[in-house]
Amino acid sequence: MELKVPRRTTVDLEPLRRILEERYRPRDHQEAQELIVSACQEAQRLYGWVPPEAAEAIAEHLGVTINRVYGLLTFYADFRTRPPQRHFLWLCYGAACYVAGAGRLVELLREEYGMDEHGDTSDGTLSVHVFNGCLGVCDLAPAAQLDHRAYLGGLNVEGMRALIERLRSGAEENNGGAH
Amino acid sequence: MAVLTDRAAFEAFTAAARAKWDELWAGDHWVISVGISECSIAKGALETYKHLELVLSEGHIPAVLRRVGCAGWCFAEPFIEIKPPGSPPIVYGWVTTDRVPELLDSLRRGEWRPEWVLGVRAPEAWQGIPPLQAHPFLRAQRRILFEHAGVIDPESIEEYIAVGGYRAFLRALFEMTPDEVVAEVKASNLRGRGGAGFPAGIKWESGRRTPAWPKYVVVNSHEGEPNVFKDRRLLETNPHLVLEGLLIGCYALETPYGYNYIGGEHALALRRFQRAVEQAYELGLLGDDILGSGFSCHVRVRTGGGAYICGEGSALMYAIMGQRGQPRTKPPRSVEEGLWRRPTVLNNTETFASVPAIIRNGGSWYASLGTKESTGTKLITMQGPVRYLGVAEVELGISMRSLIFDVFGGMRPGYRFKGVQTGGVSAGPLREDELDVPVDFDSLTPLGGMLGSGGFVVFDESVCAVDFARYLVGFSRYESCGKCTPCRLGTPALVEILDRIRYGYGRPEDLDIIRYASKHIIELSLCGLGQVAPMPLLGMLERFQEEFLEHVTERRCRAGVCPIEAGIAAR
Ligand SMILES: Cc1cc2nc3c(=O)[nH]c(=O)nc-3n(C[C@H](O)[C@H](O)[C@H](O)COP(=O)(O)O)c2cc1C
Ligand code: SF4
Ligand code: FES
Repeated sequence: MELKVPRRTTVDLEPLRRILEERYRPRDHQEAQELIVSACQEAQRLYGWVPPEAAEAIAEHLGVTINRVYGLLTFYADFRTRPPQRHFLWLCYGAACYVAGAGRLVELLREEYGMDEHGDTSDGTLSVHVFNGCLGVCDLAPAAQLDHRAYLGGLNVEGMRALIERLRSGAEENNGGAH
Repeated sequence: MAVLTDRAAFEAFTAAARAKWDELWAGDHWVISVGISECSIAKGALETYKHLELVLSEGHIPAVLRRVGCAGWCFAEPFIEIKPPGSPPIVYGWVTTDRVPELLDSLRRGEWRPEWVLGVRAPEAWQGIPPLQAHPFLRAQRRILFEHAGVIDPESIEEYIAVGGYRAFLRALFEMTPDEVVAEVKASNLRGRGGAGFPAGIKWESGRRTPAWPKYVVVNSHEGEPNVFKDRRLLETNPHLVLEGLLIGCYALETPYGYNYIGGEHALALRRFQRAVEQAYELGLLGDDILGSGFSCHVRVRTGGGAYICGEGSALMYAIMGQRGQPRTKPPRSVEEGLWRRPTVLNNTETFASVPAIIRNGGSWYASLGTKESTGTKLITMQGPVRYLGVAEVELGISMRSLIFDVFGGMRPGYRFKGVQTGGVSAGPLREDELDVPVDFDSLTPLGGMLGSGGFVVFDESVCAVDFARYLVGFSRYESCGKCTPCRLGTPALVEILDRIRYGYGRPEDLDIIRYASKHIIELSLCGLGQVAPMPLLGMLERFQEEFLEHVTERRCRAGVCPIEAGIAAR
């Protein structure tokens, strides 16, 4: 996977530092290494992605190299090393959703909305994470989750188009927080 | 909660918890329980809960409002269980928030709204409402792991203890030696629920035999397959059961170090298990010198973030250690050299959850369930257009036909059965004429199928066999960790050939190339992912060969799924 190191951003590291101070207090180096991934998850929950400054703060706090942190950020599909666009869609590509036609939704996003390999649509509206697993809500297949809150079920091509139009027009607030 | 310091204190706590539990169900008040799990939240259970809270706050109905876990009937979510005074608990399905007022009004008038009822949680029918056990989804189930699912509050250690929780752990701790515990697990012939079906007792025994120290016991709750969601439901609905199994495992290995590695996507499962660990510490069931027994145990929860390969044993251990989760060659096996290069016993979530009942009732009791070689019960998830989608617990050995058409209710109206994919991305499908096979660890294998972790995918005629094979192999291609060449380059090659066929450029020779390349990938790959990656494709090819041929000779996709016109136009 390609890693584009994004430009410097101005993220407020205070909340992350506080969480690290409070809850990430490894007893030894062994435990410090065990905590890298979940510390990164905290950062992603706060910011919607893991900004380079946050990765540095985590490395420093846990006493590991920044390479270790980026090694993991680029290994796991769930981590974003670029900021998400206005909305975030977790699109299930598990077997139930595939059988119910999720493949057509992925195609649609790629072909009509220019979704790139980072999951970003070309108009800046939406970041999609096509989830190679099961969201665990198969009764809703094809299923998705918008902005880490609302689940959408029974999605078809028309439904997806309508959703994106609504998001584009700004009718839908992203009030799900960063993650 | 005060820390319990000896066995007598635990008994006193249990007695109090039980009394409180009995009181809950006996009083003059209503008891209303809402199932809160990821699947019900997705369907609005939190709104239903809030609505109930609001209505009850008006004070017309004296009621206790509780949260419980998932009971496996995803198809009927959101569900609530209502126990008016003097009646048994009645389970209602499909109670979305808009139905709350109507349902409560009806109930106060003594109308039971049978159209929304799943059943009464009682052995006998009541007021014409059949018992839950008579519901087609539950009739053939045998619930041991899910016995208290949807009944107790997953975030209450007190309720777990009230229904008999941690009794097995205490029995092991005070009445059995670690060797006796292992012997009991061996006698049960419990086989690993994570896919391979290796006998847990034998693994525990070799873990015991390895002299190095310290040792680790690890629960595999990664559950990254695209076809299964049972481990997270188990953790969501009864996290203490898994924790109790882990504690017994640690005691058997005589180690104070337990881990649970939970997939990062399973947020609620993660939170509830973490909560269970905290409660166990608060009560003194985790920590140093547990109940004055001299045995100490500490459990750490770790998570990953979206890499299927991290479910593989050795990769999982690297993942816990904060390394990229990639498998390594074996030997050494994990029981010799695992986490932090120390002996490590790794079992699936469901495997651990099966242990308390074995310790409580004995290995031979457990061995009497299921079949001779595949003992006990198994959690099964069925995906696809079936009527009763959800998690079922059945004795191993049930026929695939009965599983699909009785337990899961068969096809939804308007869908015709075409096949059932078995073993997730690791095996092949079965056709209609093969469904009488028993569902157990060994019977599916000669048919190219596999029990795996118990996730099956029913598909209908709108699904193209070539495209489905492309999906399943595509999954493995995407998830290949890239460490070894046959898998890293072989899986994309298979996908490329399949795409050629899907786009109408396929040739009959392609089918031979598929078989040939698959053989190499299977034989030469380093870990389980690559070694089975071509299996779904080979299975589809064998079962639905005419469909593959149609694609390459007639350039026709009977399901109308493949973009085959591309190749026709290019001719
Ligand atoms: C690619 C791959 C992914 C796996 N994923 C899981 C998983 O998510 N959960 C699991 O319990 N076992 C998984 N396994 C099987 C584990 O390697 C291991 O056999 C299992 O956790 C042992 O526990 P058990 O004997 O109780 O089944 C996976 C294996 C492979 C090769
Ligand atoms: S078989 Fe695939 S997943 Fe397994 S080690 Fe090789 S490249 Fe990685
Ligand atoms: S496969 Fe999409 S929710 Fe399960």
